[in-house]
Amino acid sequence: MTGITRFFNEFTERNGMPVAIYLLIAVSIWMLLLVALPQLTMLDFSFRQNLPPPQIGGPNDVYTLEQYRYFAMGNEISGSSFNALDISVLFKTLIAAALVTILDLIICYPVAYLLAQSSDAGAKRLLILALIIPYWVNEILRAFAFRILFGATGVINGFGMQLGLWDQPIDFIGQNIALYAGLAYAYILLMIFPLYNAIESLDKNQIEAARDMGASWVQVHRHVVIPYAKPGLASGATMVFMLTAGALAAPQILGGPSSLWFTQIIYQWFNNGGNWPRGSAYAVILLIVCISLVLMIMRLFKVSIGEIGR
Amino acid sequence: MNRIRLTGLVGGLYLLLFFVYLFGPLLVMVATAFNSSSFPRISPWDCLTADWFVELFHDEKLLTGLGNSMIIGFGVVLVAVPIGLAAAMVLSQVGPRLRSVMYAMFIAPILMPGVVLGLSTLIFWDRLGTVFGADYNSLFYNGIFLTIIGQVTFISAYSMLVFLSRLQRFDPTLTEAALDLGATQTQAFFKILLPYMTPAVLSAAVLAFLASMENYNTTVFTIVADSTFTTVLAQKVRYGLNPSISAVAVTIVGITLLAAVLFESYNRYKKRQAQPAPAKPESTGFVRAITHPGFAAGSVILLAFAAVIWVNTYDSSICRAQVDAQKRAYQEEFNLQERPAEASPEATETPSAPAPKPNGSSIFAPGNLAPGTPETEPKSPSGGIFAPSNLAPAQ
Repeated sequence: MTGITRFFNEFTERNGMPVAIYLLIAVSIWMLLLVALPQLTMLDFSFRQNLPPPQIGGPNDVYTLEQYRYFAMGNEISGSSFNALDISVLFKTLIAAALVTILDLIICYPVAYLLAQSSDAGAKRLLILALIIPYWVNEILRAFAFRILFGATGVINGFGMQLGLWDQPIDFIGQNIALYAGLAYAYILLMIFPLYNAIESLDKNQIEAARDMGASWVQVHRHVVIPYAKPGLASGATMVFMLTAGALAAPQILGGPSSLWFTQIIYQWFNNGGNWPRGSAYAVILLIVCISLVLMIMRLFKVSIGEIGR
Repeated sequence: MNRIRLTGLVGGLYLLLFFVYLFGPLLVMVATAFNSSSFPRISPWDCLTADWFVELFHDEKLLTGLGNSMIIGFGVVLVAVPIGLAAAMVLSQVGPRLRSVMYAMFIAPILMPGVVLGLSTLIFWDRLGTVFGADYNSLFYNGIFLTIIGQVTFISAYSMLVFLSRLQRFDPTLTEAALDLGATQTQAFFKILLPYMTPAVLSAAVLAFLASMENYNTTVFTIVADSTFTTVLAQKVRYGLNPSISAVAVTIVGITLLAAVLFESYNRYKKRQAQPAPAKPESTGFVRAITHPGFAAGSVILLAFAAVIWVNTYDSSICRAQVDAQKRAYQEEFNLQERPAEASPEATETPSAPAPKPNGSSIFAPGNLAPGTPETEPKSPSGGIFAPSNLAPAQ
């Protein structure tokens, strides 16, 4: 207790009373009212039954594991022992998000390296500005652009058939190719900038030295650049993975008729299904699975969360 | 030496391919906005048209959504920027261990799925409204208020990152000097730290506004019965593909490019002002006038004017009528061909009719596209004042 009061005294003394009050109020509104309390309410809500509004808080409003049971076992009427549909959608979403992350890593690493190592400052500035421009275009519109490209009468099908590469329109949307390309496109910037920032601060002499000692390009990247850029790599990969797994717009627009993204199930429980507790339970599941996956991978690569976002 | 040049070449090619991937989809989308075909595409090019823009400016739903998005955007800026500044200042004052814990907490909203942020906000305020017995017209159920609150949760973290990077370069001895000279801490904050942070405040505000405008995942839950620009767009896209959506994209890409050009020219101007001007007689008059940001701003305004006038006056109805007539003629010819084909099967083996229409506006025969394109192609660059590729050489 004395530690806290001492901290307070020091804090007010350092900032002056008005500023100290502003800082504390702003941060606590943010962290408590906007983040923590809503999350806790959602957690609480996920353990409740789906009741009509007048009955909420009444005698029927008891805690239950029903919503989580539904995710694992499915409908009681169907008689099946586990909910194959929803569980497989979750797995498919996670695997697809991991694939998109790897794809982005492969696309972005050379670009970030080339940009970071180039010595022409003016060209570099222009290229970075050019990188940002597509990111300013709305998420929905980016997905729409891929819809135009990959549609049955779209540019890619038209081009490919004219060149005689294939003679029937390929169903890119049904095959989810459009979805993966669109998702990889959507979060490319979030991969490039952390990588670029990490590689840029690498001393070029280290690469020269490795080259002088006879290392091949592969060895230079494996033993010098990648270990050095690991925080940037982890940061970019985490952001792309989390955002892809939590994406809603791109799967809604680009997803094939047979494919579902886990966020779409949550959306359905909230909107068409009208079952908020179940939607909350699914959201909690998504959040916990994503966070634990990211923490696991960070531990595997020995990176701390403090390095994200720099 | 040779090898370095080779890797340079490969690298350049790779960068080129990368930027094609980055801009290709946007350019195709931009081009579809000027094709009169009612399905967004470029390959059977019908007519150059501005009608999609006209349709856009009369789209009530989209305009209402845009208005709501503006209100939400300003609301988010007003709340998220002060929170971000406070969070960055608190982080810069605590010890290293507490700092890393708090940093992880502050950064968490960025990493959480937007869907989760949106629905938790919705549930929380709904519960709170029930507890207080508020009615459905109150703040607790107001889509615009909820969206501001929901977006602030993660946009505050964006602004915090902007402020943190600026704070790292702050020299604390400045504040100390002010205190030594008798300023109170509050005065030091307002006279030293805040002015130093002003550029960061501006960029955080712009970033927050843009992030708010383009957000979908959180907004779609918190907006309840209202609509924003993004949710209306999403509805339009899901309902059916329509070139007026491309026209939205053209407008946004245009504004973005113009802003980028202005930003760049202003930055260069400022850099030149900062340097002691070298005596360069040839760059005094004309060149200086051209590279002045005022000139850039003027030409941007002129371009925008020209675009608006073009949209309002360009008439594609004659060309459209022609295309429609061609389509109808082709359809009739097609029907005529089909009917005898049904009667006698051998008629199909001998393609009697010559290639029907050179303009290739039919969807039925993909083989007709190739000869058709060279004829219609020149139409596209002729009037595309909007097309951003045409802007580049002008600058």
